[in-house]
Amino acid sequence: MLLDRQGSGRRWRIRPDGPGKVTGGLAYLTDMAAPGMLIGLVLRSPHPHALILDIRTENAKRVPGVRAVLTHEDVPGLNAFGIARQDQPVFCFDRVRYVGDAVAAVAADTLEAAERALSLIEVDYAEQPVLDSPEKALAEGAPLLHPCGNELHRTDYRLGDPEQWFKACTVIVEETYVTPRQMHTYMETEGGLFVPEPDGRLTVYSPTQHGFMDRLQLSRVLGRPQSDIRVVSSPIGGSFGGKDELNVQPYGALLALAAGKPVKIHNSRKESVRAGLKRHPMVISMKTGADAEGRILAHRVKIVADTGPYATLGAEVLNFATEHVIGPYRIPNVDVDSVSVYTNNGMSGEFRGFGGNQAIFALEGQIDRIAGRLGIDPWELRRRNMRQPDDPGPLGQPIAPTEGAAQVWQALAESPLWRERSQGVPEDDREREHWIKTGIGAAYIMHGAGLGVGIPDPAGGRLVLAEDGKIEAVFGYEEFGQGLIATLELMMMETFGFEAEDVRIVIGDTDVVPDSGSSTASRATSMLWKSVQNMKGPFTESLLSAAADLTGNPADQLRLGPGGVYAMPEPDAASGNDAGSMLLSYAELASRTTEPIRAETAFHFPTTSSKRIGAHFLYTYSAVAAKVEVDTLTGRVRLLDQYHAVAAGPVMNPQGYLGQIEGGSSMALGWTLTEEALMAGGRYLTNNLDTYLIPTVAEHAGNVAVRPIEELPEGDAYGPRGIGEIGSVGLAPAIAAAVRDAVGVWVRKLPIDPRELQDIPHFARKAVLQHDR
Amino acid sequence: MAMERHERFSLPKVWKPRNVGEAWSLKRSFGSDAEYVAGGTLLRTWWEGEVAERPAHLIDIRSLPLLAGIRIAEEGGTGIGACTTLAEIRRSCGLAAEYPALPEAVLQIGAYSIRNVGTIGGNVASGIGDALPALLVYDAELLWFDGSEERIAISEWLERPEDCRRDRGKLLMQVRLPDRANAVETPTGGGNAPFSVYRKVGRREAFTPSVATVAISAGRTEDGRLERVRIAAGGGAAVPHRLYAAESLLEGKTPDPDLLPLIHEAVEETFRPKGDVFAGEEYRKRTAANLVAAELWKLSAGRQGKE
Repeated sequence: MLLDRQGSGRRWRIRPDGPGKVTGGLAYLTDMAAPGMLIGLVLRSPHPHALILDIRTENAKRVPGVRAVLTHEDVPGLNAFGIARQDQPVFCFDRVRYVGDAVAAVAADTLEAAERALSLIEVDYAEQPVLDSPEKALAEGAPLLHPCGNELHRTDYRLGDPEQWFKACTVIVEETYVTPRQMHTYMETEGGLFVPEPDGRLTVYSPTQHGFMDRLQLSRVLGRPQSDIRVVSSPIGGSFGGKDELNVQPYGALLALAAGKPVKIHNSRKESVRAGLKRHPMVISMKTGADAEGRILAHRVKIVADTGPYATLGAEVLNFATEHVIGPYRIPNVDVDSVSVYTNNGMSGEFRGFGGNQAIFALEGQIDRIAGRLGIDPWELRRRNMRQPDDPGPLGQPIAPTEGAAQVWQALAESPLWRERSQGVPEDDREREHWIKTGIGAAYIMHGAGLGVGIPDPAGGRLVLAEDGKIEAVFGYEEFGQGLIATLELMMMETFGFEAEDVRIVIGDTDVVPDSGSSTASRATSMLWKSVQNMKGPFTESLLSAAADLTGNPADQLRLGPGGVYAMPEPDAASGNDAGSMLLSYAELASRTTEPIRAETAFHFPTTSSKRIGAHFLYTYSAVAAKVEVDTLTGRVRLLDQYHAVAAGPVMNPQGYLGQIEGGSSMALGWTLTEEALMAGGRYLTNNLDTYLIPTVAEHAGNVAVRPIEELPEGDAYGPRGIGEIGSVGLAPAIAAAVRDAVGVWVRKLPIDPRELQDIPHFARKAVLQHDR
Repeated sequence: MAMERHERFSLPKVWKPRNVGEAWSLKRSFGSDAEYVAGGTLLRTWWEGEVAERPAHLIDIRSLPLLAGIRIAEEGGTGIGACTTLAEIRRSCGLAAEYPALPEAVLQIGAYSIRNVGTIGGNVASGIGDALPALLVYDAELLWFDGSEERIAISEWLERPEDCRRDRGKLLMQVRLPDRANAVETPTGGGNAPFSVYRKVGRREAFTPSVATVAISAGRTEDGRLERVRIAAGGGAAVPHRLYAAESLLEGKTPDPDLLPLIHEAVEETFRPKGDVFAGEEYRKRTAANLVAAELWKLSAGRQGKE
């Protein structure tokens, strides 16, 4: 059944944070202000690559209203940050490696004074050759951007003997796929408010996907214990991976402590483009061979990723891509070589899909080409090669078994959209404006969740009966629009029988929440579910036994319900009106009980037993079909219809689930058709949303059908799988296949260049001579 | 030096002249330190993109009576005040009936919020606005104030070198459209009604800079031949212009599919687009030629279907 409002019944709810967001009433962290606050600005490098010879701040310091001017000399702790590897300077001191590199920062009473001071900081640079591509960075004699060289990370995976088996193939497809630098384009650009507290602590109100990681990183930079720092990190106006790494936080924190006053920093869109993370541009070359029946025998892959000037999560993204270029297929002979290269281009880093998008676009392109060459239906070819439930994962690692691969395959095969493809487009549709061509294509995806083997991936949470009688659900996850609060609220209602008003969600504040790990890698909902499962028994028990003590009823004859504790037996659902009598409200329970009522859980995200770093254990499967229209006059592509089958276990929150698949596919649509953060010579050519074009409502005219497949194997202990990213993965290859179906052109580079699909209409062509040979 | 720097960080002064003469005098005295402003939508993209520096003075021309409003069928034509917003043009029934390519062009400029404040005057004065091809095919004239009134055909004005188009502080007051034989167009251009059409291709479906724009207009004689054929193209940073070679291939002819290869070739050969990192000149030429040919093909097919 398709996921929609009607079919979801009472589970389709108005999200708790919805009204505030649509009315503008809700204050984001970057909307906050504090009395006497200063405005902070960061001076960034004008050059993609240069040596710093001298920095002079005297004139800037003399500007009236300026309270702090900071450089590398003013960093009390580690002058570097990075989630995985701390190689990005807070303030550059000897060299700048990209146009977003920070050299100095200013805090002043007004924006004007801060701008003026910034313009008076004098920096002497000696420009260096700009390594604006991985090829240049890897060339012999290229200047080294880091002491370890210009390779951030190199990895590989080998199985069997591809070279030998290519000789046995009936068909071999070789192609190179090129994908663009995509911007997250969150509505709320990076920023925050940084407040030195009277007790000497620092409060950081700044969006991030993992408050505790920011606290750890800031403690290194500031040279202070983590307990001296409080990070308030939600609500967030969009992140998509882009705010997981530190951005303005080191500058706000240092300025606030130096000036002894609150400091606000909020990036303009232009500064956000210049300094912020992007999706890794990748060039993926593949050679894939199959026998006459379409069984893939050998697969060789080379991945080159442009990671920009600093590490952040570039190595982890490359590991993910390396795993996902093998995908949902059983391939006996595999050889993958991957490298992530430092350049003087913009920063690449974490982005929804995490390297899977690029990998699957290339892999699915190969599968479709092989099907085309062999004359086998492309979906049938996938069936012949798909992983079976007990097969290992792409890297040979044991994974949690599910029927997901076969389930989504079957769902797509039976979908109206795919059936329309086999039936063909009605003639009169084709004739009206015959330069408009339509086509349908599909893609097949498996996508790992969690951070993978070898990376700390803690999870957990806490349930508390608060003094005012609210049930507090306390987690270290973040709300960045995905609907985490709504999902947790519904989970609490459905698990315990509470009503919405009984529950208070507490997230995004390191002073009060446990470390539940990051809200990344499609993991938060899975970990919420597991945490609530772990705490269900103990928390119910302690609530009921406290109620038993107060009421004198035996605990085993009490139950939890809306508003309070009820006497058993449970009311007959059929009779409806008998809700039983409430013996004790949660407020009464809280005020009368003497023992604290709480439950807590802490565990690790489930991982495979393999030792392969980054290998995943939990996977979500998806099959995506897309119907497009190509206007051959202009070469432009329009998405008409899409279908997503997603096997991710039970749907925790229908609205959130649908939102994630639709929203993810919207990002994929941009990546496929219009979005590219263009650079030349290490400088951005698309500096704002005038030229960097995300899809508008006009691009979203078509239908999006989402079919969730909820069954899990009996005894599965892992519950709902992640769906935060998978919607962003499959649409691009499905569109590429649909374009091929429509106009016969194989797309290998994104965003699709209309030139490749453009044609002169037959009536405007000069008559062709008929007597050619 | 310090003074100059200070200027950069302060807001411009906004002047509110009471009449055209006063506005022009202000501009003359401040020179390049001042800009006329109405909606300001284009200026802001220039300042943001560092194409132009924010001037010290802005001369707000929105309350000048001569620059306001649409006057249909006035003195043998239609006058559109320079400060008429794009949204007003879009809503005008009179313009839709007689000059349908203009509201069609305007609908595809910016987004709702932009069209609510952006004006036709700004679109024209930029020299690259997407409304220009539509105005070109309707033989529009521009009424400027330069101490005295100056009237000039829009095609002639666009052919001037860029630095002569808005020299000496001249102020655009009105866009004038000559009568089109008072004929109301039918959507398909059937019968002997005059015909006009506008097409824009951008990098996305809406709220997008143009890559190529084309406009076509023609009258029709009783026996179905095309007369006063106008074809124009523009898009992006290109200064829109008429495509005379393509026009003359059609002038006096019935819309015949056999002409289309020649017209396609003429458009590709004579259109002078400006390429950029997003779309090269070749793509823009081909797109313009394809669109012109397809619109004319529809016209000929429609005619054949009728017969």
